Amino acid sequence: MSTKSKAWGIAAAACLGIWLVENGSEPVTPPVPSAAEAFAAGPEQHTDAAADPLPPSAPVRLRIPKIGVDTPVMRLGLAPDRSLQVPPAGDSNLAGWYKDGTPPGAKGTAIVAGHVDNAKGPAVFYALGTLKKGQRVEVDRADGRTAVFTIDAVEVYENDAFPDRKVYGQADRAELRVITCGGGFTKKSGYQGNVVAFAHLIGVR
Amino acid sequence: MRTTARLLTGTALTVLTLGALAAPPAYADNHERADTTERTENQDRGENHERTDNHQGGDKKERLEIFPTTAAPGERITVNTTACGSGGHGIGDAQSLGAGDFQLSQGAHKEIVVGHFTVPHHAKPGTYSIAVACDNGRTAKGNLEIRHHHQGPSGHVRTGIGGSVGPDSTQIAAGVALLAAAAVGGTWLLRRRASGAQGR
Repeated sequence: MSTKSKAWGIAAAACLGIWLVENGSEPVTPPVPSAAEAFAAGPEQHTDAAADPLPPSAPVRLRIPKIGVDTPVMRLGLAPDRSLQVPPAGDSNLAGWYKDGTPPGAKGTAIVAGHVDNAKGPAVFYALGTLKKGQRVEVDRADGRTAVFTIDAVEVYENDAFPDRKVYGQADRAELRVITCGGGFTKKSGYQGNVVAFAHLIGVR
Repeated sequence: MRTTARLLTGTALTVLTLGALAAPPAYADNHERADTTERTENQDRGENHERTDNHQGGDKKERLEIFPTTAAPGERITVNTTACGSGGHGIGDAQSLGAGDFQLSQGAHKEIVVGHFTVPHHAKPGTYSIAVACDNGRTAKGNLEIRHHHQGPSGHVRTGIGGSVGPDSTQIAAGVALLAAAAVGGTWLLRRRASGAQGR
């Protein structure tokens, strides 16, 4: 009798073990924003009023306290296919700013991009997809000022349906985009999309 | 008087554009011929003669040279053509991109007419057809590509390699540990049963 129950216990442990191994073998991809963080889920701008834009000055450091991001900011140009260049993949804590565009805090749309991961594992913007509306992004600038932004939305786009105008289009106020990879992943073609955080300037320190 | 002339050239251009749109490339030449038969025979002959001179790369339409061929909003465009003949004059139509009509008149070379217009700031990227109607009744066409040079980046960003994508190693380790324990337990149970059977 007790032998029988022991046998059942062993069988149950074996089943649980198999399930754990199988479930654990499913690839885990970086977090993607929930539908609640998309523009469509609510008003485009919430209560935080837009601050007056600053004069242009290059960014040097970017912080997103809620997801523990504190990274230096390098300058990025464009690749021959006009896609935004990316920081060197080897450095897992480095973001880049599109240097021929608007500086963060100035009137227009400032573009910042960083890796979601590199060969070693998660990188600077791994948790970008967990950001929520109203959370803060701070950018230290070369002029000594810190531009403070609030998140308006976090959306994810398929690579072949990337909305250029929505992401890169110029704004009448000081806006910021933080871009990283996301969506599905296949070994053959890599990440299937981009996660984009939209923010606008609400203050200066 | 002027308004009438403008109206007439405008109508001619519309007819021509419609014809060009409706006709598959293979019949374009026929269409132009149909067009020209409406004019006097003299002009027709003259055009045919000029045409043979203008045969470049098998293109049978009168060529409209456009500089630059790719431009951004706000840029000044220069067009010229030999279609209007020596000392001629023409009216250009850049309405497709919202730049209206413009005049072409004799430039540095007697046989070439030149005109200018500016790409409107609201022009969207794409390829636009620019047409010129000459006072001698002939027409020329060319394409202008609008690109937003200073638009900035385009398309998605390659900000990931996949190094964070992988199996959940903690879960796998737990599963393996459980399986190992079950194997050990199972073996032990079987052995005990086997030895019990022998002892009986």
